Amino acid sequence: MDITSIRKKAIDAVASSPDLQDLESVYKSFLGKNGELNKLLKTLGSLPSEERREAGQSLNVLKKEIEVVYSKRQHDLIDLDAERKLKNEKIDVTLPGISREQGTFHPITQTINSISDFFESLGFEVASGPEVETDYYNFEALNVPADHPAKDMHDTFYLGNGGLLRTHTSPVQIRTMEQKDPPLRIICPGRVYRKDSDLTHTPMFHQIEGLVLEEGASFAQLKGLLNDFLTDFFGQEMELRFRPSYFPFTEPSAEVDIRWKKGWLEILGCGMVHPNVLEMAGIDTKKYSGFAFGLGAERMAMLKHDIPDLRAFFENDHRFLKQF
Amino acid sequence: MKFSKNWLKEFVDIDLSTEELCDQLTMAGLEVDGYESFQSKLTGKDAIIDLDITPNRGDCFSLLGVAREVAILNNLKLKLPKSLTISSTVDSPTNISVCAMGPKYVGRFIENIDLSVQTPDLIAERLKTSDHRLIDPVVDITNYILLELGQPLHAFDHDKLVGDIKVRYAKEAEELTLLDETKIALNKDCLVIADKKGSIAFAGIMGGLDSSVTDSTKSIYIESAYFKPEAIRGKARRFGLQTDASMRFERGVDFNIQELAIERASELLNKSVGGRFGPLQVVAEKKNLPKQNKVSLNISSANRILGANLSKTKVKSYLTGLGLSPQVKKETVNTLIPSWRYDLSIEADLIEELARLEGYNKLPTESLQPLTKKKEITISRKVSSFLVSQGYNEVITYSFIDEQDANLENGKKDHLIVSNPISQNMSVMRSSLWPGLINTYASNLNNGEENQKLFEIGSIFKKNKAGLVNEILQVSGLVSGKDMDLHWKNKPSPLNFYHLKGDLESLINNLTKEATFESRASSFLHPGKSARIKLGSKAIGEMGVIHPGVMNKKDLKGEVLLFTLDLDKLIQDKNIKYKNFSRYPVSQRDLAFIVNDSELNSKIIKLIKDKAGKELVKINTFDVYQGDNVPKGKKSVAFNLKWQSFNKTLIDEDIDRLVEKIVNSLSKEIKAELRS
Repeated sequence: MDITSIRKKAIDAVASSPDLQDLESVYKSFLGKNGELNKLLKTLGSLPSEERREAGQSLNVLKKEIEVVYSKRQHDLIDLDAERKLKNEKIDVTLPGISREQGTFHPITQTINSISDFFESLGFEVASGPEVETDYYNFEALNVPADHPAKDMHDTFYLGNGGLLRTHTSPVQIRTMEQKDPPLRIICPGRVYRKDSDLTHTPMFHQIEGLVLEEGASFAQLKGLLNDFLTDFFGQEMELRFRPSYFPFTEPSAEVDIRWKKGWLEILGCGMVHPNVLEMAGIDTKKYSGFAFGLGAERMAMLKHDIPDLRAFFENDHRFLKQF
Repeated sequence: MKFSKNWLKEFVDIDLSTEELCDQLTMAGLEVDGYESFQSKLTGKDAIIDLDITPNRGDCFSLLGVAREVAILNNLKLKLPKSLTISSTVDSPTNISVCAMGPKYVGRFIENIDLSVQTPDLIAERLKTSDHRLIDPVVDITNYILLELGQPLHAFDHDKLVGDIKVRYAKEAEELTLLDETKIALNKDCLVIADKKGSIAFAGIMGGLDSSVTDSTKSIYIESAYFKPEAIRGKARRFGLQTDASMRFERGVDFNIQELAIERASELLNKSVGGRFGPLQVVAEKKNLPKQNKVSLNISSANRILGANLSKTKVKSYLTGLGLSPQVKKETVNTLIPSWRYDLSIEADLIEELARLEGYNKLPTESLQPLTKKKEITISRKVSSFLVSQGYNEVITYSFIDEQDANLENGKKDHLIVSNPISQNMSVMRSSLWPGLINTYASNLNNGEENQKLFEIGSIFKKNKAGLVNEILQVSGLVSGKDMDLHWKNKPSPLNFYHLKGDLESLINNLTKEATFESRASSFLHPGKSARIKLGSKAIGEMGVIHPGVMNKKDLKGEVLLFTLDLDKLIQDKNIKYKNFSRYPVSQRDLAFIVNDSELNSKIIKLIKDKAGKELVKINTFDVYQGDNVPKGKKSVAFNLKWQSFNKTLIDEDIDRLVEKIVNSLSKEIKAELRS
């Protein structure tokens, strides 16, 4: 048999091989130890050296050629085989996946996190302070003198050791100002306590206090910041208004109302930090000015999620928690 | 504080609707808690306005104070009540002495009064609208003046006084029975009014019982005094006696108004109970009276603090309007503070007044600039932390890949090519994160790592029709192997389609709404074991077993799963609104059906839900079975259904009825048979 006919025969056989098993035997019959090519190679010894070399080269070329074709066919057959099998492999992709049930973060934590995220993106740092406070940090350093009527705004829990439970997160402002030099941008979320318990009050709740203390901090920036924040929090442009109000630790002071359904709803308190507060904390008031704001996490969460009852936050009913 | 609008109009000539007036007051810092219209028998249409006064604005604890504020806001003149001087017809038998904390005492003796008369109607009506109980004409008139001018007055039954009146500190444990009949033991920091016998009133807080006006009172002594806020603060609270008087004194009463108040009271008393009036007795220790504050304001620092640009003229006119007397010199304003404004003592206080009069909402607004470049708290962070918590390892692979890898999926050939690649096998900008993941998987597998859960977050690049490049941020991942390592208690099982699906369901659910999974995705994936992932009608990604053809090209074997999600389509949209929950018990039922092998779970669930009623709260597929007892080409599927009503406990009959409907519908629609 000559090379040309072997070539044709081999390529045809490989190309028409119906499956991998057959392909393997075709391969062996041509390129195997006792395959056609080896048989032909053995006959070459009888040829003159010139022809022998030529024939040997041709055989080598053919061998490589067959291997290429073989390898292509092998891949094709694997693919075909796969396709064939695939037709019988079909699962129901609409059956539920396997997963461990996901836990939930308490809606207050989610609210605090989402608020902190916003402020952190503006360079605020999260600060914290003790919940058992002294009269100095909770009141005096915040410009609320003993016996001042402004103290009536807070119903304070006092502790046996002479301490008190902080009535707001504002003491963290003071503690931070004592420890760090301006410029400062801080946000202080945490638990606060007031002696009040009815439909709209719980004796413990969460506040988020913010403070900016830097050169050029202005009331205009306070307004802009709160506007940006409320828009971010509610995910839509909010209509808000600033009303003059009174807090001993800010001057000017303002309450912020948002347009809610048909009316206005009070949502947070804020103002320029009172010079007395800055001076007590040892801040150079010629150089730095500051503004602060405080808001209730529960109220924010209630508005965002349409939660009607404040007390639900602390009942921790599974049916409540699982919704957030 | 509640007051009538018509009363207010006696002091300031406003032409505003009640709503406008309330809005104006609220926006000026005097928050209106509410108002109520009513028809007055004496003055016609009127309204009761309820004002919430902050502790700093003691000056607004009266009609006069509110009127003053309204006048400023509307640029109107304040009409002060005329002070008629009543000439005395008798001498006063009583002398007065004061002390440092109670430095001013104005008093008047009136004898021969007629207490059988009624309190004048207008006074009675107004006291009632202000929530004051009517007592007798004398007490009612003192209360009326308290509301009108903010000056607490007190009337003693003069016949019960012994000797002169003295303002002094109490002795420690000095006893006093008050008007409300409580007997208290005073401390020595408490200020009292005393006669020769002892204390007759807790100064600035409450009168004593023994010296009080009664039905039989014939002569009275009226007190209009000034006590310093420090002397009153804390005392009322200590004894649990928050009174109209104490609230005003501790916030600060105008120290120039005592004469006017007593003259007004005298005038009203004269008209009602009559009598013979003694002279006005005014005793004041000038050196102990508050000094009129001097405050200076720098206009440019005010503007800096407010971020505003108020002109000198404006500043001057606002301050003048408040009753201040500003002297402007360059940027500095020096001014005296009127005797009623205790809250104005430093520059910041004046800045607040300027802001208030300009209007907080009219003042400029300016965004606070981020300190550093705004740090995006992106969705990628949430996605990656979730995946990490589920045991995935994050990988970072090159954005340029080998052209052969780019061609792994058939039919996508128009690649974005790097003109000068660092090497030939990094010449194509990836249009999928999968090749990178598959190569990472393959090389880890070579190192003997069979269990792999990988993900990458990164952009893919696709040429659009305009020849420009669309960059799409995606998260993609690969899982293969077992769900856990060897364990003494639990058996590892091979990760399959449903494991990956479960992870993706949780991931998507954490961020947004529930996704749906529809059969068959791109040709990269196994046609029978892949799904397109959709949010509503929008495809957001896909998942499934890698197509064996692709595996073959990469010389890989076995089942390897991939997923990809477009992050911008995963935008957090978790607008959770709270849903009230039922307090009634849950009823449940398990139902198993024999259906054709090809029926989709989603379809069966939809059919069930259509018939299960509004009170179905949950449905779970808990078993899918083929084998013994189930004919070939069929499968058995079992569901657990839970119902709960908002208004009753569901009974078996209710559930039976629903189950029957479900069974009928399934039998009709998909020839399902209920397994018994």
